[in-house]
Amino acid sequence: MQWFDALIQGILLGGMYAQYALGMALMFGVMRIVNVSHGDLVILLSLIGISLASNFGWGPFTVMVALVPLAIALGWLLQKVVLNKVVGDDPLPSLIATFGLSIALQNMMLQIWSANSRSLPGGGIESQSIQIGGIYVGLLPVLVLTFATALTWGLDLVLKRTRFGRSLRAASADVEAASMSGINARAVYASATAIAVGILGFAAVFQSLRSTVAPADGGAQLIYAFEAVIIGGMGSVWGAFIGSMVLGVSQAIGFRIDPGFGVLAGHLVFLLVLAIRPQGLFGKV
Amino acid sequence: MVLFLLAVVALAAMPWWAKTGTIRMVLELCCYIAVAQMWNMLAGYAGLVSVGQQAFMGAAGYALFVLAQTFGVNPFLAIFIALLVPAFLAVPCYMLLHRLDGPYFAIGTWVVAEVFRLVASNMGFLNAGAGMSLNVMKEYSLFERNVAMSLLCALLILLTIGGSYWFLRSRYGLALIAMRDNPVAAASQGVNVRRLRFMIYVAAAVGCGLAGAVYAMAQLRINPPSAFDPMWANVAIFIVMVGGIASIEGVLIGSLIYFIADRWFGQYGASYFVVLGVMTVFVALYARGGIWGAVSKRWDVHWFPIRRHLVYTPEEKP
Amino acid sequence: MTVLSTHGLVARYGDFQALYGVDIDVAEGEAVALIGANGAGKSTFLRSIMGLMAVKPEMVRLDGQPIGGTPTDRMVQKGVAIVPEGRRLFTGMSVDDNLRVAMDQADRLGRTGGWSLERLHRLFPILKEKARTEVQNLSGGQQQMVSIGRALLSQPRVLLCDEISLGLAPKVIREIYAALPEIRAQGTAIIVVEQDVGLAQSASDRIFCLLEGRVTLTGASSAITREQIAGAYFGGSHAVV
Repeated sequence: MQWFDALIQGILLGGMYAQYALGMALMFGVMRIVNVSHGDLVILLSLIGISLASNFGWGPFTVMVALVPLAIALGWLLQKVVLNKVVGDDPLPSLIATFGLSIALQNMMLQIWSANSRSLPGGGIESQSIQIGGIYVGLLPVLVLTFATALTWGLDLVLKRTRFGRSLRAASADVEAASMSGINARAVYASATAIAVGILGFAAVFQSLRSTVAPADGGAQLIYAFEAVIIGGMGSVWGAFIGSMVLGVSQAIGFRIDPGFGVLAGHLVFLLVLAIRPQGLFGKV
Repeated sequence: MVLFLLAVVALAAMPWWAKTGTIRMVLELCCYIAVAQMWNMLAGYAGLVSVGQQAFMGAAGYALFVLAQTFGVNPFLAIFIALLVPAFLAVPCYMLLHRLDGPYFAIGTWVVAEVFRLVASNMGFLNAGAGMSLNVMKEYSLFERNVAMSLLCALLILLTIGGSYWFLRSRYGLALIAMRDNPVAAASQGVNVRRLRFMIYVAAAVGCGLAGAVYAMAQLRINPPSAFDPMWANVAIFIVMVGGIASIEGVLIGSLIYFIADRWFGQYGASYFVVLGVMTVFVALYARGGIWGAVSKRWDVHWFPIRRHLVYTPEEKP
Repeated sequence: MTVLSTHGLVARYGDFQALYGVDIDVAEGEAVALIGANGAGKSTFLRSIMGLMAVKPEMVRLDGQPIGGTPTDRMVQKGVAIVPEGRRLFTGMSVDDNLRVAMDQADRLGRTGGWSLERLHRLFPILKEKARTEVQNLSGGQQQMVSIGRALLSQPRVLLCDEISLGLAPKVIREIYAALPEIRAQGTAIIVVEQDVGLAQSASDRIFCLLEGRVTLTGASSAITREQIAGAYFGGSHAVV
């Protein structure tokens, strides 16, 4: 029962990671870019959300309504100002640029919000729980997982069925050939980053509801997103989703074995996948 | 080149001309130079962007403490034996990480560093999160320690800068430069790209390990957050990118800038790091060659001439 | 009526100059063939037109307007499409989705014309049969048909074809070349780059032969002799027939 409970908790935790991983999978798939400041953006958005809530007395869903458009705008700006200049065959410039951005963002947040941990008051939903099949689970984690599933499903649908999704897939397959079909690659990139960061708007609200956030936390979020994407296998949003679940379950089970072992267990499962199935659980060879 | 050798001798002779405080500062600078140059070899020449070299720094530091403190090995002998640890650890790490594509490799190295840190935090043998002290150093007088640290500084610079220079001028170095400019063409010319990358990864792990061990020895204490501090990745990237990637001169310039900036502006804390971060972004966007790139483009000068000229000289000294 | 023309077109890759002042033109409904040895600059010529190489605006004209160096997606909007060398399909996507990408963009860019999915299916029936197949699982000939179809669905006024017979069986090549007359009947101008001289001659109205980045032979396809081509192909003086 204890292990079954860990499994459930892990899947719910995976819901959180999926919200980070989707955007990273999307950006890497389309542009071969890893945004090192991915995690810092979650923290930045969280802190903005917390400040909004405390200054205007907004509830978490009002904050979400404000934060997601802001995140989309931030993503678009990031692409226009920074990433469009470094996208290319050489991975170094994009890594360095986003790495520098990560340092700048972290320290800027440190100055504005200090090093203290904060969280978003959820008006009670963070402590409510519901009973499913004999197990009590928190309402909030279930909500997180539901949102993650909906986001994954929505993103998958957009990629498969819409004009925008087709141009995105075309650009990620062969960007020059895409331009020969009339696709404006930079516009597609800007939309991809806007979506990727936009999803972080949701993640930020949930992250700051379920635990505390501090300016230095971004690195861990980046690593979890990355591990989820690699475990799941590149090239599909459902891969990133399942990878997040695997990571969440590994951490939850590791935590049950020894509280100091939780995060490490996640890393070890990641290394194990890399060793025996480098293309990821659902990746194509 | 002559200047370089003089500098190494001056470093070794520090106890006879410098105060203890100066030696400590110079030691810090030497560690910056060494770690930055190792990062430069990885990113600038081998195309391997790592943000996790602190893994090997911490591993070697811990190895030194265990050997010297737990097993009673002479610390100045232990520091060299300790270098075997990063060398051995680098092999499986590379085996796993090289499967990751470009930018994912970088994040992978970070995960490895995190794994090392967490393992160290969980190992009772290493006194877990509390860390260890190098009490055996108390057996030596201050002067003896100063002599040892100075010699280690000189050795560190000789091995990392001199070693890189020697390597880049060797047959392998030429292959490496060919590889950096065009991996496909280099591979088709018979350069074993994969083996060369592997060699550099291991060598960089040892180089960083030496820097980490020297730094830890000077601190006399080690614990997981300081031994595996990601700050080193920030420092290395800033130094190399601002100074000028793929050049030894750039590393020296970048290290001096960082060292001085740290002394002058370190008190401003966060805002100082915001400026460093923004500068790094700026270099990546608009000035990929960094300061040295701009200087050498303009005046065509090289302190460490790695490029060969067609004139044949039997000796490679300037 | 000339649709597309180049005027002293010069292109370089870094220090290496690939084209030295090339003048080629094509009229509405006309097919011209560009022949030449490997490295003569044929593909570079097409890439220069498509905005994939840095060229001066006045070097390429569409309806007399200077358009050289226009970004590739904007060239498509202006009505120039390319069937690229090596086909360059979107792997991991189905035949239908590959074609839809071009239709989406034509729609977005406001390009209209006579090409529809149905008409393309009539031209290459196999594309209908394989609509759901991912393109990397098609045969070379089928892939070439998708690549041509994708370019046609951009509703081009000028179609550039880069070595569309490369690596295909003779029967398949005939099948693909048989589609050209219908494309031309639409009023579309075609520039084909072709290694096979006989094929180039039979499929075109005029021929241009490139040698080391310069045009060494131009003339009506029907009037040019094998000897003239051989001379232009491997060097000698510039001949106009």
